[in-house]
Amino acid sequence: MSQIETEVLIVGGGIAGTAIARELSRYKVDATLVEKGVDFGQGITKCSSTMMCQGSNTLEFRSEYHNSRLVWAGMPLMAPLCQELNIPLKRIGSLELIKNQAGMRRPEKMIRRFNEYRGKYIPPEVEPIQLIDRETLRSWEPNLNKQFIGALYDPNIAVNDPVRLTIALAENARQNGVNILLETEVLGISAGIDTFDVQTNNGSIRCRYIINAAGEYIGKLAQMANADDFALYPVKSYQAVLDKKIGGLINHMVFTTENGMVSPTIHGNLFFGISPGTQRLGKAHDHSTDQKLADAAMKHAQELVPDVSAKDIINSFVGFIVFRNFEIGWHECTVGVSRWVPRFINASIGFPGICAAPAVAKEMVEILTKNGLRLEENPEFNPYREAMPDFSELSDEEKKKLIAQDPRYGHVVCRCETVTEGEIVEAVKRGARTLDGVKFRCRPGMGRCQGGFCGPRVTKILARELGVPETEVTKKGGESRNLIYKSKELLEAQQ
Amino acid sequence: MKLQDVDVAVIGAGPAGMAAAIKAKEAGAENVVIMERAEELGGLLHQCVHNGFGLLYFNQDLTGPEYGHRFIEKVMDTGVKPLLETMVVRLTEDRQIGAVNIREGYITFKPKSIVLAMGCRERSRGALNIPGTRPAGVLTAGTAQRYVNVEGFVPGKKIVILGSGDIGMIMARRLTLEGAHVEAVVEILPYIGGLIRNEVQCLHDFEIPLFLEHTVTRIHGEERVRAVTIAKVDGRRNPIAGTERTIACDTLLLSVGLIPENELSVMAGIRLDPVTGGALVDEMRQTTVSGVFAGGNVLHVHDLVDNVSWESELAGESAAKFALEEKPQKQGEISIKAGTNIRYIVPQTISGQRDVTLYMRVTEPEEMVRIKVGDIMTKGIRAVKPSEMLKIELPAETLKKLKDGTKEIIVDCEKRGGK
Repeated sequence: MSQIETEVLIVGGGIAGTAIARELSRYKVDATLVEKGVDFGQGITKCSSTMMCQGSNTLEFRSEYHNSRLVWAGMPLMAPLCQELNIPLKRIGSLELIKNQAGMRRPEKMIRRFNEYRGKYIPPEVEPIQLIDRETLRSWEPNLNKQFIGALYDPNIAVNDPVRLTIALAENARQNGVNILLETEVLGISAGIDTFDVQTNNGSIRCRYIINAAGEYIGKLAQMANADDFALYPVKSYQAVLDKKIGGLINHMVFTTENGMVSPTIHGNLFFGISPGTQRLGKAHDHSTDQKLADAAMKHAQELVPDVSAKDIINSFVGFIVFRNFEIGWHECTVGVSRWVPRFINASIGFPGICAAPAVAKEMVEILTKNGLRLEENPEFNPYREAMPDFSELSDEEKKKLIAQDPRYGHVVCRCETVTEGEIVEAVKRGARTLDGVKFRCRPGMGRCQGGFCGPRVTKILARELGVPETEVTKKGGESRNLIYKSKELLEAQQ
Repeated sequence: MKLQDVDVAVIGAGPAGMAAAIKAKEAGAENVVIMERAEELGGLLHQCVHNGFGLLYFNQDLTGPEYGHRFIEKVMDTGVKPLLETMVVRLTEDRQIGAVNIREGYITFKPKSIVLAMGCRERSRGALNIPGTRPAGVLTAGTAQRYVNVEGFVPGKKIVILGSGDIGMIMARRLTLEGAHVEAVVEILPYIGGLIRNEVQCLHDFEIPLFLEHTVTRIHGEERVRAVTIAKVDGRRNPIAGTERTIACDTLLLSVGLIPENELSVMAGIRLDPVTGGALVDEMRQTTVSGVFAGGNVLHVHDLVDNVSWESELAGESAAKFALEEKPQKQGEISIKAGTNIRYIVPQTISGQRDVTLYMRVTEPEEMVRIKVGDIMTKGIRAVKPSEMLKIELPAETLKKLKDGTKEIIVDCEKRGGK
């Protein structure tokens, strides 16, 4: 059992934790991030939609909400961040659909509010939202249900891949000196006068500050330090990814307040989900999908885009958000120092987590400074991260060149997403330890056959690169092995 | 052989591709290549170590590898050029092929004609949308078959199989022989999805419980499958509340249907039949794109490999003819339409000039039926099942009975007598 000392301990390797770690790596500070899982972004980050910038719908939040400020402040930060980290971000714009004349009131109010807030809370680089009429709507979205009479258009909405963003943030943070420990679960915290002693399954860590970015476990972690001065509720929804062959059905993210949304993804699939609503569904840490929600989501999606069909679903998963106490504004977030325990800082963004993360990270620097941490700039900070090679996106010439350099790029392992052995090896080099780890970095198994063809091949490559037998390769760590026995092992055991 | 000189390029080296390539060569095409993503010829036959192959084609009961081996030898003997570990990633309407491999890198060429023989893939959990958690241990039956028969691993000890397709039933037996315990085979329909001989030889002979009109309604377990809940379904295939039972298991295999692998076909602008999921073809197995032919499971899912071979030989022969004549052939002009209790028919169009074999499936099982091909032919059959493909021979002689200008022939499967 090891014992380490660090100035700042970040607990949680989701979008919040990794964004904070990367922001802190701009400074000369001894920071450590611990994540209990084998990889980054595998908790609620994975359960988020692909929507990157929450625009008009957050205008419903009260302007004094901390959350609103973070969302708005985060909007102009996302594009440059993605550029530095070399991951794709695509601005697609959103359309909040209007059903009838009575439905015009809300968008009109939103526009008024937007104009009022612009320059005050909303940064000037955010583009204005506007109403579009039925004809424009039809020409932009010919496959939309014809019943809608117009829409509130928000050009700021973008999509990317939240898990890839999280992984990229972690990679960049590590590259800039943050100590990252995976499979390290916090088991207990004892607060001293000016340090914490944190017990983990991998030994103990002494630190001065704790940043609680434990996602859905934020309450549990806060409790360990007696810093749980808030109440949180998990809310579950349902999301589904559809085959790329119908990816062009919709060009913008389309939604209504009661129907949820249908949107293209950054990878060219179509995606739909129901809005989580305020119903308090689901137990903490239960990420199982549910037939009722699935049926409701499909019904809603078809009300928006009638050609969406269950036969095109290639995967579905739960949407999961941890909300703050419903009674005091369920949209509000919990970012700040605990009222009871100094230097214990909570960072739960709730809705809408991903796009607020860059702003949360910046704010965390302020909070730490205010609470006595001296932060000196790190002159060696390198904001850039080399992109993962993406074979399918290359031109013919680039493909030839890459294969000439490394023939493993000529070995296509995943047919559906055209993923090569070269990319899988690179993913492992960058830290993938599981089948899901490979999948979230370079997509084998994310396509329509869901790993039916490439599964055995990826398992083999992963085992070879990690130097373990194939029976020890897991889907997502722990006991999640796909292959438990070698041939004849069961028969021999019976004799 | 230079790729620039290729007459016929066959995509896929499973049973369909091998049969097509051999036949193309035999029919006179000089330069034939067969492009295969795997390391060797044979496709899925290597993992099908059970018997039952070749009963019709060779009049012998062979295993998959034995059946495959006969074709592999012939591919080599006839001088077809295999391009292994080569993935075709692009196909255009004017027959340009783009492919990658580790030797030549990215290659492009334009053969005179093409045979599509990419086979099919299995429906996955995602496509079924089964509720519950997302643990390890949920596999398609074919993937499990590869692990057990080729890679040398057994996925788990207590198995539940959803769907009674042939691969599912064969894996029930295979895993039992490997020392695993198959707790249940669960089928949503009132009848099995595969062949009767597999129900008898793979399930009944091994006393494996079969639950008809049941489905899996939930998957349990965080890291690895811990259990599944199954329930009885009503006539509309919806689970009936109160009939749920939970079966402890560590593995769920899915054998719930096969989907023709037509991404390249779509890329080339080939029109597909929404029912088969394969290309629309004429009696020569030419698709809607001139010079591109298709055969085997890429066209429609077969239940016997023997038929895959025959159908693909036809496609290969047609492709060779096209390459030699180098003139576009017209697609047939008479549509063959599915009527009463017929799910689909391949080919979808015919010329009316040649002998043709109609491959078809019924929608519902039925006994004592009569197949009516328009008003030119009827054929009595004792029993029909959706899982067993029907073949109806239509000789050119019979087709002469068609009235001039016939545009459409409807095929019905009617109950005989009706008394």
